[in-house]
Amino acid sequence: MDKGRLIARINWPGAAVLVFVGLAWEAAVRSGLLEYEYLPAPSAIALGLSELAGEGILAPDITHTLISVVIGWTAATVLGISLGFLLGLSATARRYSLASIEVLRPMPGVAFAPVGLLLFGFSLKTEMVVTILPVLWPVLVNTMAGVIGVHQRLYDVGRTFRLGRRDTILRIILPAAMPLIIVGARIGLGLALILAVVAEMVGNPEGLGYGIVREQQALRPDLMFAYIVTVGFIGIVLNAGMLALAEALFPSFRQLQGGR
Amino acid sequence: MGSAEERSDPGEKAVSPAFECRLVTVEFLHKFSRKRIIEDVSFLVRSGEFVTIVGPSGSGKTTLLRAMGGLTPPASGSVLVHGRELNGPPDDVVIVFQDYSNALLQWRTVAANVAFGIERTLDRKEIEQRVRDTLALVGLEKNAEDYPWQLSGGMQQRVQIARALALRPAVMLMDEPFAALDAMTKASMQDELLRVRDRTGTSFVFITHDIEEAVYLGDRIVVLKGSPGRIEQILDIALPAPRDQLSTRQLPKFLEYRYAVHQAIGREHG
Repeated sequence: MDKGRLIARINWPGAAVLVFVGLAWEAAVRSGLLEYEYLPAPSAIALGLSELAGEGILAPDITHTLISVVIGWTAATVLGISLGFLLGLSATARRYSLASIEVLRPMPGVAFAPVGLLLFGFSLKTEMVVTILPVLWPVLVNTMAGVIGVHQRLYDVGRTFRLGRRDTILRIILPAAMPLIIVGARIGLGLALILAVVAEMVGNPEGLGYGIVREQQALRPDLMFAYIVTVGFIGIVLNAGMLALAEALFPSFRQLQGGR
Repeated sequence: MGSAEERSDPGEKAVSPAFECRLVTVEFLHKFSRKRIIEDVSFLVRSGEFVTIVGPSGSGKTTLLRAMGGLTPPASGSVLVHGRELNGPPDDVVIVFQDYSNALLQWRTVAANVAFGIERTLDRKEIEQRVRDTLALVGLEKNAEDYPWQLSGGMQQRVQIARALALRPAVMLMDEPFAALDAMTKASMQDELLRVRDRTGTSFVFITHDIEEAVYLGDRIVVLKGSPGRIEQILDIALPAPRDQLSTRQLPKFLEYRYAVHQAIGREHG
């Protein structure tokens, strides 16, 4: 993408509101309007960020969290798309498993953290226990809905062009369901980051999540907020990367979504 | 009813027609009872012939077309393509559906939609060549890289027709393909279709509820009527070729055919 289009795509009024809120926060803290002992001004958070980066502990923390997000999300997405296809294509499979899914789905993934700790101790595996299950659901449910929602006419088209089962799945069902699969994968990616951070706060003492807890206990709210801001920033980058990937793999994604 | 079909065409190779329905009956299961949709439908389509099927709604036109395309198996009777009884969608027969926006692959460009039926069997150069030729045939060569949703309804339907033509089918089965188009687009599409027939020798079976359209396009008209639908009448249309939107439609014979079809369908149709 060239610079002109990038500039055109930035939401300037939205960015202006963000800057304004930041400035108002800064002004409120400096003027004493907001007086909490542990609420730092944005400038203090920025300084905290550079302190963390300077000490060389931010980069490894980011790496750790990213790795656990990527592993957890990839595993959940592959599993979710496969199961979603199975359930979408087979009414029998749906009849037998939807009840179990509706029971399992509302269970908060964090609730499995103690289970993970018992099984795997303080480790990446514990993070996976917390991450994979909650990320699985939106991918699975959206994939299933996408597959079920493929218009009957497209099956007719597949038949009149004499497609076999494999080609019907690869050339018709998969691309037709793709917009919803991508929606599921995007929701899943957001969840994966949240859950990885939570897992690091309660389970595996590493990465950005543990950084937040550590700095809170060290009574360094500026550093704690610096970690929080970093998590938010990673969320934005992951979402943008996901969209770019979707558009690269599936050029008409944006239009089929009806979005900008 | 039968005499018109049995007449042999000395110009055609052999006697075997492109397509034949023999006493086709289709039934649907509906809550443990069978509902008969069409009954004992027999007619044949010669190679290069344009057969139109008219009938009031509910007379089973679409069901008949789906049976001919191998999408719905008949309960009794048989459909033959080049003398062979079909069993599932046949090799060189392809259906063009009425609802083009559902039938097109919205995630593919126009060119990729047209390539859909041939991309598994031809090599890349042949595919490109045939896509280009077919798009030129329907006048969409400038829209190859567009997506279907960027096109008007008439253009989208032309994409679907091109996708079917790219296969070079012996028979095209069309289910009210112009029903959703405005009058002007419809007229130009009708002429386009006749031109395609003249150039490619493809046979057409064309469903419509528009009697004038049936007369204008058809070499023969099959009138379906009743529930279950049966053949009410088969009319040979002897209008001069090439047909012309203005002069053909003013011929006394055109009006006679139109009247005859109206009579055959009866008062229940508007």
